[in-house]
Amino acid sequence: MKKVLAMVLAAVMLLSVASFAAAEEGFSGEIKIWVAENTVDFTSQQVEAFKAAHPEYANMTVKIEPVGEGDAASNMITDVEAGADIFSFAQDQLARLVAAGALETVEENNAEAVKAENDAGSVAAVTLGDTMYAYPMTSDNGYFLYYDKSVVSDPSTLEGILADLEAAGKNFYFEINSGWYQTAFFFGYGCELTFDTDDEGNLVKMNASYASDNGVAALKAIIKLTQSPAFVNGSSVSNATNLGAIVDGTWDAGAAKDAFGENYAAAKLPTVDGVQLGGFGGFKMLGVKPQIDDAKLAACDALAAYLTSEEVQIARYNAVGWGPSNLNAQKNEAVQADEALAALGAQLAFCAPQGQYPGDYWSLATALGDDVIAGKYNDADDAALLEVLKNFEATCESYLNK
Amino acid sequence: MTDLEYLKLSKPAKLIFRIHQFFKNLPGMAWNGLKGLGLAIARLFGGLGKSVADLVTTFKDGDWKTRLSYLIMGFGSAARGQWGRGLLFFLFQTVFNVYMFMPNAAFSGCYYLGKLSTLGTVETYKEGRRTVYGDNSFFILLYGVLTIFFILAFIYTWRLNVKQNRISEQILKSGHRLKSTRDDVKSLADEQFHKTLLALPTLGVLIFTALPILFMILVAFTNFDSTHQPPGKLFTWVGWDNFHTLLSTDTASYGNTFSQVLLWTLIWAFFATFLNYFLGMLVAIMINKKGIKLKKMWRTILVMTIAIPQFVSLLYVSKMFAADGLINGALMRWGWISSPLPFWTDPHWARVTIIVINVWIGIPYLMLIATGILMNIPADLYESARIDGANAFQMYQKITLPYMLFVTGPYLLTSFTGNINNFNVIFLLSGGKPLSLELSGNAGYTDLLITWLYKMTVNDTNYKLAAVMGILVFVVTAVINLIVYNMIPSVKNEEDFQ
Repeated sequence: MKKVLAMVLAAVMLLSVASFAAAEEGFSGEIKIWVAENTVDFTSQQVEAFKAAHPEYANMTVKIEPVGEGDAASNMITDVEAGADIFSFAQDQLARLVAAGALETVEENNAEAVKAENDAGSVAAVTLGDTMYAYPMTSDNGYFLYYDKSVVSDPSTLEGILADLEAAGKNFYFEINSGWYQTAFFFGYGCELTFDTDDEGNLVKMNASYASDNGVAALKAIIKLTQSPAFVNGSSVSNATNLGAIVDGTWDAGAAKDAFGENYAAAKLPTVDGVQLGGFGGFKMLGVKPQIDDAKLAACDALAAYLTSEEVQIARYNAVGWGPSNLNAQKNEAVQADEALAALGAQLAFCAPQGQYPGDYWSLATALGDDVIAGKYNDADDAALLEVLKNFEATCESYLNK
Repeated sequence: MTDLEYLKLSKPAKLIFRIHQFFKNLPGMAWNGLKGLGLAIARLFGGLGKSVADLVTTFKDGDWKTRLSYLIMGFGSAARGQWGRGLLFFLFQTVFNVYMFMPNAAFSGCYYLGKLSTLGTVETYKEGRRTVYGDNSFFILLYGVLTIFFILAFIYTWRLNVKQNRISEQILKSGHRLKSTRDDVKSLADEQFHKTLLALPTLGVLIFTALPILFMILVAFTNFDSTHQPPGKLFTWVGWDNFHTLLSTDTASYGNTFSQVLLWTLIWAFFATFLNYFLGMLVAIMINKKGIKLKKMWRTILVMTIAIPQFVSLLYVSKMFAADGLINGALMRWGWISSPLPFWTDPHWARVTIIVINVWIGIPYLMLIATGILMNIPADLYESARIDGANAFQMYQKITLPYMLFVTGPYLLTSFTGNINNFNVIFLLSGGKPLSLELSGNAGYTDLLITWLYKMTVNDTNYKLAAVMGILVFVVTAVINLIVYNMIPSVKNEEDFQ
């Protein structure tokens, strides 16, 4: 028995002695890419185009696997070595990925180009400290309002929307227990919650003003919203029933069109008590994993830069409807004519580019939202609410990497 | 207290007395355990001493073949004509030496063993744009443990090799023939067949069960989490820090949340087990009753819930009870309520909802089990009870229940343990929600220890705390099992129903 064990061990040992390919012009090994499921076909077409344009990479094998943006980051962190060489993710995962050693920095020349060609928000979103870690791909990760034209007469105030929906017996979907959607209220009321990072992805400083009069006003507005009979916590059109209006993003545009039919309409978020709701402007990006082989790294750099270039971003919009981050691509006619992207554009004027947040922030925000929905603060006075927000801030601060 | 006094006590008083006895005996049991452990250790050292003495005498009395075998394993066996054994011993030694002292030092057993105390010190660095990975703490821990296993196996085999020589010498001296390689192979298919059969399973258990468990226990003493993630980052030993984080009630620790979650886990396990048990039995008795028509149809309807995969039915039911789900929708349309009932959003509602839904899933299983057992209770017991004038409840209390408890006692225990770790129902119904600012570590009000552990591992990559939690879940289930096992009638009164 021990002999078998020994032999297994010996075999494992031999296998783990990795052989290094000699650096040469181009690259002919295998590159693994993770992208969202609905862009797999699109990506493989673009990879073929890339190979055709770059003969030195014509022989490399590119394996494209469908792994969604959220899963990609988690999977990379769980096992960097088994992860993809190039993967797409949303910007809130950046610091986490860098801290886990799962992201290579953007090559200097490429970084210059990225800075020049993409909108300022997306460039800020791929940068930690002074270091750029990823290639911006889309600038459409924000939320706004989809609504039923026949029910909602005026989408500009929350009070009006709720009154219309309550009268019609329809539901208003807003995922108030999500750290992402929740900021619409807090940021709209002028609160701040951001984190500063160092170059290694460590969160070193928190800037917060939730525990303030503005924060209490925002929390009260949230509590008031959850007490409306029309309110339902949620942000997925396909899971919604009796849908009258929903705060959601561009990825659900197709589903929303199907759900509302002729009455489909999109608009920026409404005002509450005259205060314009704000929120996050978000971005999707492509990252490259640290490589032990220079040739492979060069190939990954070139491929990632190509997949986020102006032409490919326009092609991606046409194929799957993702709004580009490239400035020239944003001026494209088809992009400009998109209703959902127009609503998002109007909303983004009131939004802050989403920076880096500790992973636990999202659960904490869910906890706050759950407490509100459970009615714990229905009778709370201002002082009690302020106390809640003070605790919230203190807990957020405890997430900093010291 | 004498036996007679004990028998006079009422049922609850007996139970309290027994529990009291258990805790009174606990120090004694612990002492006995310690004493046993001490004796075992003493015996181990005694055995070791004898082994060493034996090694010395074997060397002194043995011939040159035996003596050379101390250095080259299997030499004696081979020199005496037992080629097969000799070759195997020699191969094992060679593989061991190659593994321990491999030319590529970075992958040898010595390397892993040497780094085990620090779990690696060489950081990952950059050479131009290229990444050069340093030590991989994960592999150092894994292979370090494996290497220790391997060394123990080597010492055992080496000792066996020496013993073989002594036995061979004695056999030769007494004028008998040694077994040839062919005899050895034959015996592996004959009187040693158990070894042939068990070799693979034992190896499997060792590599796929024992090693991972030991590895996970060790992780509980490291700082392996999302910011110490190999291969880019190192992790290291931190002693009992993680236990402190999970159990102490400092502000930054999880102690309060842990006790909250543990309490709910126990409450849940209690209701999920006993509510299902009694209601299932009740349904079975009702269906079994003479005069009930369409027995098969009632059973079939109930068993339908088993036929549908749980993850389908549970997800569906979870959606049904949501704020915009079927049930709230219907109630609001009928005008019974004006705003949705907080099935999943209010902590207490969520807990009760989960227990009730679990009754719906659990009753059919219990009904099937109970039906089988009820049919087995001798009818003459009931008959004589009836003649004595017992009513239905008395018959249930004195005949049915004791019989059921006797037969299903062990089942109750396993299902209680199973419910402590009942991941499916909780995860699919509520996912542990609702969360709250009053709980830390992302735990929710309906989280069991096991679903909390899952969240820590999968969502937060907080392996260190998850490992501690795994150990604590084991402790909780082990303690409860030991107490309850000693109290169930199947163990206490073994002869009652034979």
